[in-house]
Amino acid sequence: MTTGQAITPVTAEAVTAEAVSEALTAFLAERIKTEVAPDQDLFASGLASSMFAMQLVVHLEETYDIAIIGPELKLDNFRTVQAMTALVLRLRDG
Amino acid sequence: MAEQVAGLAPELAGERALVSELVGDQAGPWDLAGELPAGLLRKLGAHGVLCAEVPAAYGGLGAASRPSGELTAHAGSLCSSLRSIMTSQGMAAWTIQRLGDREQRRRYLADLTSGQLAAVAFSEPGAGSDLSALQTRTSPAGDSVVLDGEKMWVTGARYADLLVVLARHGDGAAFAVVPASAPGVRLEPVADPVGCRAAGHSHVRLDQVTLPASSVLGGGGQSLPLLFTTALSYGRISVAWGCVGIIRACLAAAVRHARRREQSGRPIAQHQLVARHLAELLTAEQVSTRVCEHASRCWQDTSPDMVMAAVLAKHVSAGHAARSASTAVQVLASAGAQDGHVVARAYRDAKLMEIIEGSNEICQLLLAQHALTTAGPG
Repeated sequence: MTTGQAITPVTAEAVTAEAVSEALTAFLAERIKTEVAPDQDLFASGLASSMFAMQLVVHLEETYDIAIIGPELKLDNFRTVQAMTALVLRLRDG
Repeated sequence: MAEQVAGLAPELAGERALVSELVGDQAGPWDLAGELPAGLLRKLGAHGVLCAEVPAAYGGLGAASRPSGELTAHAGSLCSSLRSIMTSQGMAAWTIQRLGDREQRRRYLADLTSGQLAAVAFSEPGAGSDLSALQTRTSPAGDSVVLDGEKMWVTGARYADLLVVLARHGDGAAFAVVPASAPGVRLEPVADPVGCRAAGHSHVRLDQVTLPASSVLGGGGQSLPLLFTTALSYGRISVAWGCVGIIRACLAAAVRHARRREQSGRPIAQHQLVARHLAELLTAEQVSTRVCEHASRCWQDTSPDMVMAAVLAKHVSAGHAARSASTAVQVLASAGAQDGHVVARAYRDAKLMEIIEGSNEICQLLLAQHALTTAGPG
């Protein structure tokens, strides 16, 4: 598999809640041209669709070397920057 | 046809040759009969050709998206019914690989690369693009689940050993892998489909089908739209490459005819209005190939852009295929206006490509939504 153009490999020590949250906010700002608050509901606010949620799945898996499978593939896990941050930390611990 | 395309990757050249050899000149008769030889499908399946991207560790060819796409285009240039089976089998394999647990991947991907055939069941009488209307449901029953529902237009179901069925599951959704032979599964073939006539489209009734809980991929409980998008993204790239094949077949047939057929003392290729048709066919082939290559690159890079790149590739290629098939029939005129002829098949098959895996209109809605999402506020 070739490496993605926009994907920066993340080292283990860089994966803190703060770092993930910041990186996700930056990713969203680039993708949807909007600065979102950590607890802002991306779907309810109309900023993102389920198609975009799939892009978030792919982005998180590639960036943080995690596998988002089974019941973790639910929209609630991608609803806010906070929820995605918690997902990343949980799966990296697991 | 695809063998003549300049710059074609050497990967899977043997598999493309195998497809040519097994299809031979039979695509027309298969179309007229409305059936593919099951033995041919099992042979291609056992060679891993029907789902070429399954990793070698699971018994597959481990092909990258682009050579797999070129293989799909090659099959599509010969027989869109066969290509439809590849799309179904590939989509089933991808869904199992992406959503299944380790044991499920091992078991089912071995089946799908050793001659077993699979189909994926999404659509229902009341639920096409509107997922909220999906009725098929699993109910837990001890170590088992019971599946009830009705699926429509399941491509390849007539030949399938396994049906990968999208269903509601608890508060979320799941794909369940259902043996076609399970009690309670009933198939009703779609009579005389307008295109891909030999692709084995069937309606599927699921009446109290009892399965081990281990048949539910990844334990289920996932988001319905996420499951749908996951499976369809593969399907869209596959259909898009299949459309490239249709366009290549149309271009080749139109060029061959326009060179040979003479009117008013010269080949019709020298009549300007016919020459314009040839230019449009070449343009369609090039544009569609490029947009498919882009989607395959995004897929291979696991770029988040792959989701929309797949929609774009499908939409662009299906539209070009439908117009190209119409153009090719126009160029060949009476020489191609008989069922079973390559351009006559293309004309009917390509129309179906504008409907399946997200109609033109649904693709446009998704692309418009993407434009709105990525434009930002203001």
